[in-house]
Amino acid sequence: MEFLGHYQLYIVMLIVVAIWLGIYWYLFRLDRRLRALERKQQG
Amino acid sequence: MRSGDMKRWLLSVRGIFLKDVRSELRTRYAVSALVMFVITTIAIILFSLAHEAAPPEVLSGMLWVVIFFGAMSGLSRTFVMEEERGTAMTLQLLAPPSAVYFGKLLFNVVLVVALNAFTVILYLLLVAGFVVRSADVFALTMLLGSLGFASAATIIAAIIARANTKGTLYPVLSFPILLPLLVVVIDATRSATEGAPLAEAGGAFQFLISYIVVLTTLSYLLFEYIWKD
Amino acid sequence: MALRVTLGILLTLVICAGIGFPLSQNPQHWYELPVIPGLEEKARLIFFHVPTAWLSVVAFLTGMVFSIRYLRKRDPLDDLRSSAAAGLGLMFCILATLTGAIWAKFNWGSFWNWDPRETSIFVLLLIYGAYFSLRSAVENQEKRSTLSAAYSIIAAITVPFFIFVLPRITSGLHPGSKGDPDGTGPVLQFTMSPNMRVIFFASLAAFTLLFIWMFQLRVRTGKLEMERELQQAP
Repeated sequence: MEFLGHYQLYIVMLIVVAIWLGIYWYLFRLDRRLRALERKQQG
Repeated sequence: MRSGDMKRWLLSVRGIFLKDVRSELRTRYAVSALVMFVITTIAIILFSLAHEAAPPEVLSGMLWVVIFFGAMSGLSRTFVMEEERGTAMTLQLLAPPSAVYFGKLLFNVVLVVALNAFTVILYLLLVAGFVVRSADVFALTMLLGSLGFASAATIIAAIIARANTKGTLYPVLSFPILLPLLVVVIDATRSATEGAPLAEAGGAFQFLISYIVVLTTLSYLLFEYIWKD
Repeated sequence: MALRVTLGILLTLVICAGIGFPLSQNPQHWYELPVIPGLEEKARLIFFHVPTAWLSVVAFLTGMVFSIRYLRKRDPLDDLRSSAAAGLGLMFCILATLTGAIWAKFNWGSFWNWDPRETSIFVLLLIYGAYFSLRSAVENQEKRSTLSAAYSIIAAITVPFFIFVLPRITSGLHPGSKGDPDGTGPVLQFTMSPNMRVIFFASLAAFTLLFIWMFQLRVRTGKLEMERELQQAP
């Protein structure tokens, strides 16, 4: 990976951000689905 | 508690302790199995060492490995046996939970001290590289270590007695709880082989005493919840 | 809503700052991090390793609190909360052990050394494993909740012995152990520059928010399952 030189770090950073946003999206979807199910329970 | 209650309570404790002692002496299966277990384990160690000189740190650790597995074989009996014989419920009716706990704790203390004494004697005789230079540090370590073992192992035994896979679950649950004890006690044993003076091991002994006190108190508080059906 | 938005923005910023901010010998600007001799780039791990380790302990203590409540009131919801916390704790504990091992490899040469603090995170892992083994070994629901509550309390008392007392008595590799020339201070040695400290505490806060959110999600899922079982029971 030497050829990337100075930019190595920023690529790592972007990958980590991407992974994090993926996790966040998953949790958000879960949250929304739970809320729908809870509303169904009430009604 | 009034003195009459206290006396009755102590009699319950003694009664439960003696009951367990008598039933173990009557059948002798468990005791002889434990003895054979210790002999076998030490034999395996001697065999695998095969005249290789192992440093005292390793030998100190191995001593406690033998003790650990001996404890795991023997200390759960006092509760598991009640479940197996179906006498647990009767015992619940006959005695208050605290009496049951202390009676069985006493039994385990006697058992583990006797077992460890036997293990240590065999170990000292048979394992060549293991030489104790500070007898006082060693004796105190063994005593406090055994008490610590009993205090942790008894409450875990009460927990797994109600579970399904008792045999394998017991070491799994016990090991994390016993690990702080093991670290300190192995280190103290090693320093006993190096001839450390009593004062130097003082920190370890303080640790062991606090471990025993904390675990016994906690066990006493929690036992009622575990024991009652 | 506020929690999720804050969390999303905060953790993203922490990742960008923690990984992206350049190191320089003489930090002049707010976005420059100091070079710590011996650590250099590897120091960035501190923003992620310490919070996960911290969280695995927090999750564990949370589980213990709900265990105590369960033993008092016998509310199955408390048992649900206790095991939800434990599940998350297990996950963060695995992460902490992995990040720790990676850092150990870079810094001290090998992945594992049985240094007291490393051992204590491993012990936590064992405790979580034991907790779930116990749960799967008891069929009766009430007995399962009671026994696992008792065990988590016992384990919770033992762990501080390990994390706080032992590293002080014995020498080790981690900062704060007996052999450390910097002294036996608490886990965090504040040799961080002010902007590093900001990122660090922001990371701690962000991970904590993440834990809270995931915890709520698990408890809500569990509650729905419980209600469905109640409805299905004849």
